Amino acid sequence: MRTPAKVRVGDAPDTRVVGPISQTDIVRFAGAGGDFNPLHHDPGFVATSGFPGVIAMGQMQAGILAGWLSDTFGVEHVRSFGVRFVAPVFLGDTLTVGGTVATITEANGESLATLDLVASGTKGPVVIGSATVVVAAT
Amino acid sequence: MSDPLPAGVVDRVEYDVERGKIREFTRATFTTDPVHTDPAAARDAGFGDVPATLTHTVVAGHQRDQRAFVDSLGLALARVVVGSVTWTYLRPLTAGDHVVGTRRVVDDVQREGKRGGTMRVVTLETEYVDADGEPVVRLEEVLIERGEQ
Repeated sequence: MRTPAKVRVGDAPDTRVVGPISQTDIVRFAGAGGDFNPLHHDPGFVATSGFPGVIAMGQMQAGILAGWLSDTFGVEHVRSFGVRFVAPVFLGDTLTVGGTVATITEANGESLATLDLVASGTKGPVVIGSATVVVAAT
Repeated sequence: MSDPLPAGVVDRVEYDVERGKIREFTRATFTTDPVHTDPAAARDAGFGDVPATLTHTVVAGHQRDQRAFVDSLGLALARVVVGSVTWTYLRPLTAGDHVVGTRRVVDDVQREGKRGGTMRVVTLETEYVDADGEPVVRLEEVLIERGEQ
């Protein structure tokens, strides 16, 4: 196992910028995950839906946020990851993903950090999340 | 898979965790850690094989029929949104694992919406167990059905 990250409360590791989100990005995620809801790829269907355009599946932006988390802290150190979906992502949106260390507690000989996470689009947050990760003892 | 589902179980999925699918999911989520795509990097980092990304269980979508699932809960698809999803990890899911995920309703309540009207909030938990029957990852999903206008 790799060494856990050294962080302090209030730290905000470098964010990641992904986008502009293309139809290809959404189709690639559909193929990976198996979500073939036409809202995510069929403009003719979308026109009947009330949405102004094709939207990404929430699990795509959740997965992008999770990727930042595991790339930053190590997938083996992540104990939990949670997301709330707060706004849709449209074609052409650019996402910024990252998080801040909210707390660090010692339990059973480990240091566990809680993180406040957010993926934001051009107009504000699209996914709000939280995570628990093992970090280096302070 | 053809056995009848026990009471309270909504559905069950079963799949092999594969290097190729992990690679696809890694790329589709802009994840860059080479442990997910390079078996040598994974071994150097202490994994037995390449670990899956954190939300890999989304691949269950290939085995699920969302409309039939929503119908089975008596929900109206057009009024349902996924409010939140939380994963709890007991160990990293790794290429070579064979997992079975069993999804259950753990809560089903009516709530007053912020703008009036009643919403139905259904909480589902899926536990994935490995070939030894040991839990690997748990997934909680909260579905919200808005009231009829």
